[in-house]
Amino acid sequence: MKPILEIKKLCKNFGGLEALRDITFEINKSEILGLIGPNSAGKTTLFNCVAGIEKPTDGEIIFSNSARSISIGGKKPEAVTALGIARTFQNIRLFDNLTVIDNVKIGRHCRTKSTFFGAVVRNRYQRAEEKAIIESANHFLDFVGLKGRGQEIASSMPYGDQRRLEVARALATEPHLLMLDEPAAGMNPQESRDLMDLIRHIRDKGITILLIEHDMKVVMGVCERVVVINHGEWLAEGEPQDVQNDPKVIEAYLGTGAADAA
Amino acid sequence: MGKVVLQSAYNRSKVALQKTSRGAKIRIGLLILALILPFLPFSTDYILHIAILVLLYMILALGLNIVPGFNGLLDLGYVGFYGIGAYTSGLLTYHFGLSFWVIIPLAFINGAIWGILLGAPTLRLTGDYFAIVTFGFSELVVLFLTNEIWLTRGPLGLPGIDVVSIDLTLFGGPKWEFIGELPYYYLAIVMVLVTVFVMYRIQDSRLGRAWFAIRDDEVAAVSCGINLLVYKVIAFAISAAFGAVGGSFFARWVTFLSPDMFKFWESFLILCMIVLGGMGNIWGVMIGAVVLVSLSEVLREILPLLGMPVNVRFLAFGLIMVLMMRYRPAGMMPIAAVAAQMRAGRVKRKKVKPAVGIKK
Amino acid sequence: MFLQQLVNGLTIGGIYAMIAVGYTMIYGVIQLINFAHGEIYMLGAFFAITFISFLGLPFYIAFLVAMACCAVCGVLLDIVAYRPLRQSPRLAALITAIGMSIFLQNLAMIIWGSRPKPFPHGALPAYFEKTAVTFGGVNLSWFHLFIFTITIVMMVGLNLILKKTRWGKAMRAVAQNKTMAALTGINVNRVISYTFALAGALGGAAGIMVGAFYNAIYPTMGYVAGVKAFAAAVLGGIGSVPGAMLGGVVLGVAEALGAGYLSSLYRDGISYAVMIIVIILIPAGLFGKVLKETKKSM
Repeated sequence: MKPILEIKKLCKNFGGLEALRDITFEINKSEILGLIGPNSAGKTTLFNCVAGIEKPTDGEIIFSNSARSISIGGKKPEAVTALGIARTFQNIRLFDNLTVIDNVKIGRHCRTKSTFFGAVVRNRYQRAEEKAIIESANHFLDFVGLKGRGQEIASSMPYGDQRRLEVARALATEPHLLMLDEPAAGMNPQESRDLMDLIRHIRDKGITILLIEHDMKVVMGVCERVVVINHGEWLAEGEPQDVQNDPKVIEAYLGTGAADAA
Repeated sequence: MGKVVLQSAYNRSKVALQKTSRGAKIRIGLLILALILPFLPFSTDYILHIAILVLLYMILALGLNIVPGFNGLLDLGYVGFYGIGAYTSGLLTYHFGLSFWVIIPLAFINGAIWGILLGAPTLRLTGDYFAIVTFGFSELVVLFLTNEIWLTRGPLGLPGIDVVSIDLTLFGGPKWEFIGELPYYYLAIVMVLVTVFVMYRIQDSRLGRAWFAIRDDEVAAVSCGINLLVYKVIAFAISAAFGAVGGSFFARWVTFLSPDMFKFWESFLILCMIVLGGMGNIWGVMIGAVVLVSLSEVLREILPLLGMPVNVRFLAFGLIMVLMMRYRPAGMMPIAAVAAQMRAGRVKRKKVKPAVGIKK
Repeated sequence: MFLQQLVNGLTIGGIYAMIAVGYTMIYGVIQLINFAHGEIYMLGAFFAITFISFLGLPFYIAFLVAMACCAVCGVLLDIVAYRPLRQSPRLAALITAIGMSIFLQNLAMIIWGSRPKPFPHGALPAYFEKTAVTFGGVNLSWFHLFIFTITIVMMVGLNLILKKTRWGKAMRAVAQNKTMAALTGINVNRVISYTFALAGALGGAAGIMVGAFYNAIYPTMGYVAGVKAFAAAVLGGIGSVPGAMLGGVVLGVAEALGAGYLSSLYRDGISYAVMIIVIILIPAGLFGKVLKETKKSM
């Protein structure tokens, strides 16, 4: 089966700084892939390149949804979302001042159509669509465990719930691939465990997951395969336990010589 | 028999009245008050004139509100669309005798087209640049109206625009011309009601939510699949369309146009209504229109008595803007979303910032 | 004809440059389009004639005192209106700036009346009118020369201040990164005040010179000049001081030539059109960087 996302020789420079250099790896359909690496290894830049927020300097990103394969490098973020890639942000970016349900409803944007005319006239099509938006928004809130909290203001929710809401909003775009940028950051152990359950649960729905995470417990607990990058370069790839014991990886995290000591 | 029907209708309306919320009751009360205003003992032609002015500014302010209120972008050139609408309507009437009822939809489309023409290349810029471009645009409109004398008669103004009329002669009916303030008053009320209706519907729709998303966080909006440029242009076009419709009404109401009616002052005044009432709040914006038009008229009476030029009233408006931004940045009737946003940054969000990677 | 227009364009352009520099410097340190800057320029002219007619100061002294007053006005403007909004969203600060602009304009109308005021008779040095140089059929009055000289001296002075003095360095540091500047011990608010003072003094001087050049001073003069200077700043690339200088001169010349050869009716329109076209086509201007969207806070 064709991998859902192929990253081929991806490069990204910011002026003179090489944030990513010749990164190549693949994500298989319906797997949970962890992307790890020390601070400033280029993980978020890679995310941004896939999501269309950054334009890759060189290389290819090929996304295959159920229908076809498309090169998405340099495509606009809204187009990438429409193709079926959703993401969350390292520093949560909700629509802070809107209600929880509106946040998720906005996530439905790219799967719905009506605009000015529909809004004003409210014909049968628009009413049906609006009803469907509300239903699916509630469905996704239930799914992440925020049932009945639709009327709260997003920014007033506790941190962990904001993370969940962000996931719900991303799911509302009906992605084939969901990219989570450090979802467990700032969470207590209980919240992390709940998050891991949620991630598995999402995968069981057939959604592929790419996960950046610092919390090794989460990575080891949930990922089936791990890609390590360091200083913007591919470093290692494999099953979590193997990668964890890879001297190169230990060195990257702990510094030169650490592997021998370990 | 008839009595019974009447009785049951009465009961039903009573039940309906009990069901309606306090806010709805206030609204219905205000509407009734507005409808009977011309028949109240104190109402004169002058009062009606001011009332029409208030209603006109309600339409304009509601239209402008879409851009700063719903999208969080500053539009300083709104009066340009108002002027385009007024002059287009005036000229079409003057030269071709087009009916008001035909002109209104044309004005809407015309305004929207100008909004798209100006918005499409400029809305990809940052907010500051956009503000200044809209300002330059409205100044260019005034220059054009002043200088293209062959078309607009320039500073002399465009007189003799037909009044609004309902012409049923085609169907063998009568022709009724709108003379005096009264018919315009009711026409304006209808137009305001339509505008409010449209705004409420937009507010609670996919389109409105996309705008609120843009207002709140552009990056997050994009990641939900919202095309920023497209939705900002839609907002700007609809806003411009309402400006042009307001201008058309204005042209047919005062039956005289001159370029200096469309100077920057007007944009400023309308912006001030929104700021005072509460950006993004439909009711607040309307109340802002009531307050500022009234204040403006009162000052217009008082200032000459103090030996000051009438324009000095803008001193008060400038001050209102500054003080509002300082103490009530979301307006007198803030909506929660805008209020929180205008506070944003003052109260830092207490989010844990995890380890930093290379960020954009 | 051409040369005469060119000379007029250069004269006015130099003055635009002086105002434009103010916009650019203030934008540099607080990322705000200070709409009220045009009003500082207007106040400069009014201060000058007030000092001349009520205190009987000679022109040159009045010039300097008015500049100082404008510097103070600039600082007060910042402290009263903008400083409380440093952490607010851009929209709030921008609206405040417009509000202050309108407020000051009308305040001037109340104090000085709305009709154009000339300088008191005999207040301007008599030799201003006399021809200093004639070349190619163009008469350059001493006043032209005075404006040229002042403009050049001030621009050079400004560059020296920015490049050589501690203030100037601090100012550039704040423009680069406020947080880092604060960490290195720079008092950011004081630097911002200096910037407003400098911008105000330059703007005031420009106002006095324009007022004297046309011998007409009126409360709305800052409105048009302000927009044109802003256009100049945009043309040069907002945030760039040399850009603003060049932008002012280019715009002044374009306007004079455009008015002479195309249509004098659209004289003001030329600036607006240049501004809109530049913003759409090359938003970075001639020397600047593209603005980064920082909608959440300023």
